[in-house]
Amino acid sequence: MRVTAKAVAIAASVLLVTGCSANANTNANSTESTGATTITAAYSEGGTTLNPTEANDVTSDTFVLAAYDQLVTYATEEVDGKQVANTAEIVPMIASSWEVSDDDTAYTFTLRDDIAFQSGNPLTSADVVGSFQLIADSSSASFLYGMAGISTVTAVDDSTVTITLTAPNHLFLQILPMYSFSIMDTKLIEENGGAEWLATNTAGSGPFVVDSWDPSTEAVLSRNDDYWGDAPALETVNIKFITEASNRVQLLSKGEVQLALEIPAKDVAALEDTDGVVIDSRPSNKILYFAMNNNIAPFDNELVRQAITYAIPYDKLLTDVMQGQASPMTSSVASSTPGFTADGNNAEYDLDKAKDLLTQAGYPDGFTFDFTLGSGFQDWNDDAVLIQAELAKVGVTMNITNMARAQFLEAIATNQVQSYISRWTSFVNDPGYHLGLLLTSTGTSNYANYNNADVDSLWTEASTEPDQEKRNELYGEAQEIINEESPWAYLYEYNIVVGLQEGTEGYTSYPDGIVRYAQLSVN
Amino acid sequence: MPKSRTRSTATAAPAGTRSTTVGFGRLLLRNKLGMVGLGVIAFWTLGSIFIGVLSPYGASETAAGALLAPPSLDHLFGTDNFGRDLLTRVFAGGQLSLWTGLIAVGISMAIGVPLGGIAGYAGGALGSVIMRVMDVLLAFPSLVLAMAVAAALGPGTSSAMIAVGIVGIPEFARITYGQTISLKQREFVEAGRALGLSSATILTRHIVPNALAPIVVRATLGMGYAILTAAALSFIGLGAQPPTAEWGVMISDGRGYIISGEWWLTFFPGLAIATSILGFNLLGDALRDVLDPRLRTTA
Repeated sequence: MRVTAKAVAIAASVLLVTGCSANANTNANSTESTGATTITAAYSEGGTTLNPTEANDVTSDTFVLAAYDQLVTYATEEVDGKQVANTAEIVPMIASSWEVSDDDTAYTFTLRDDIAFQSGNPLTSADVVGSFQLIADSSSASFLYGMAGISTVTAVDDSTVTITLTAPNHLFLQILPMYSFSIMDTKLIEENGGAEWLATNTAGSGPFVVDSWDPSTEAVLSRNDDYWGDAPALETVNIKFITEASNRVQLLSKGEVQLALEIPAKDVAALEDTDGVVIDSRPSNKILYFAMNNNIAPFDNELVRQAITYAIPYDKLLTDVMQGQASPMTSSVASSTPGFTADGNNAEYDLDKAKDLLTQAGYPDGFTFDFTLGSGFQDWNDDAVLIQAELAKVGVTMNITNMARAQFLEAIATNQVQSYISRWTSFVNDPGYHLGLLLTSTGTSNYANYNNADVDSLWTEASTEPDQEKRNELYGEAQEIINEESPWAYLYEYNIVVGLQEGTEGYTSYPDGIVRYAQLSVN
Repeated sequence: MPKSRTRSTATAAPAGTRSTTVGFGRLLLRNKLGMVGLGVIAFWTLGSIFIGVLSPYGASETAAGALLAPPSLDHLFGTDNFGRDLLTRVFAGGQLSLWTGLIAVGISMAIGVPLGGIAGYAGGALGSVIMRVMDVLLAFPSLVLAMAVAAALGPGTSSAMIAVGIVGIPEFARITYGQTISLKQREFVEAGRALGLSSATILTRHIVPNALAPIVVRATLGMGYAILTAAALSFIGLGAQPPTAEWGVMISDGRGYIISGEWWLTFFPGLAIATSILGFNLLGDALRDVLDPRLRTTA
């Protein structure tokens, strides 16, 4: 009884703070109603780790967000009747409030004092300090730690933490809600011998407990009944790992799963006509680009790269391959990203222009190049075949080599692949984050070796510019240079397509494409 | 009684004489199933040779028709998701599949037959080592071994051919080994040895030609097997690369369309694989009936 009263009070306070009343209502209703509080979901991959600081794929991230909480989180809002994350607005989670110093370099967070980890240990400032240390020491999340510009993390008292930055950094608060910045039960981790233990165990305070996880078959999440926040409506979440897209589609249309991810574009129309299935398809900032290695001839020649951008059948890719489940991509950042500009990008499907540019570049008869095709996504394969056919018309031979996804990711990371297509989602929907990783000379995912000193200096200047308008102007200039020099050809921006059974409520779309199961309920 | 005597002498004598060739052809023609197999193989062979001349479409020509059009008079096998004509692609794929079969079996024979012959004739430690290595190769599931080889060589049609060829080596080595062991006891071999012929001459001139019958049978059956394995390699992305028309790739690309009802994308390449393998198996069985007198029913 005491627990219930407390939960209601917390729910009410969360309501006031976040204003997401729609969610809270559905939650309250379904807990009272019948026992249909289990859902089964179909995912394409089984995940690689439960460690928040090393997770890097949708499945692993899903577990992390289910089992852990972060200091702050993204607000949600309703747009056209659909719940969607508003990543520009940061709202409290573990931290109930925070203050920023006048020079924008010190953030003081006040932690809630009623949070206990799933282990029963209370969550204190020491856990925050310890978690940030684990993040800084990790091999994956440490990069974000650097990007957030964090200098020191100190516990002022049991429920107060001060984080200082090396310089003003507008990305700092944007990065904190990410799964990588989960607050971990440092006492429990220490008892179990350190960070390695986290790969297969969880030490969080989140709404779900990871009951079992077998990357080859399925994972089971069950509700954390002592959760400090809004109690999840779902008691159990079964996540099945089904590689074959057509199998996921079939399970969804037969009603065997209530939620399916990675629905192929070609199956969307049929599923929309299926009784009891709801397709949630929305534009996202997930982009697909054709990268040309700027260090490998002939792609070291700007004219050649531009020629390629004129030989891509953009409309065909959108209609034939993606069947309308994508929209045109016109700059190196997604059109929904703040500061986006298509200036300088003139690419369109025009083979004569492509031929002219090739002649100017000294390749009137075309050339031959190697293209590495990562497996796993049918649309990539289809795009490659269509592009290959168009390039052949201007005398350019594109030799496609298939590669399994794991090897593909390894190969492009060597920066030695001549050309490839790849997708990218900036979980922080900010041009600084996006360009910094992908197109600055030091970017860790700049596998096409794009290197422009002006872009680098614009990016550096913008990253410490506190005024958003000025910042976006700088990012705009950088985009213009990139658009003109065309290290990539822009293919499209994906829709995030999630298939749901009717009656599965509360799904909220986030840029990272990760489902937060605490928000879901079944009617 | 006299009849059976003639027959056994015919197989024991060095192969290639006129009478055995004629008898062989006549017996093969009389085998109805064998002729069906030969017909199917001829159909695919001729079809794939002449498809370039007969088809108005190119194998990699996108938008040759509407996308995903069902079979019609314009496109007898329908079109795929790029609007490519499937009939053209299936026959163009046949070209590659038959070549793959020929080259792979060629590699298996070229390496397996000498190894088996040497092991059988030399015997002793050398023979044991060779045959144990073959046993090790045989112990691997053949597709896994082919995948490993193809992955090591890098994806592509030539590495698929080599991979399938390597996987077939032990079969040929074993057959040749067994034949050599039994043949080297025979009088004509002993006669050769008594005449002072070198081991190499005895092996190449006298033993291998007489061991050819089961090898030819195995090679024919192996063609079907090689086509299937190469298609499997391509299916998982280790064989032919886009836009090459290849049966395994076509099935792999088309399998996402089965549920949505575009069955022709997988049906026709699947039919091609099934019938061509059936053709080689029927022919192989017929050859065995004809070439192996012990299995011959009535003459």
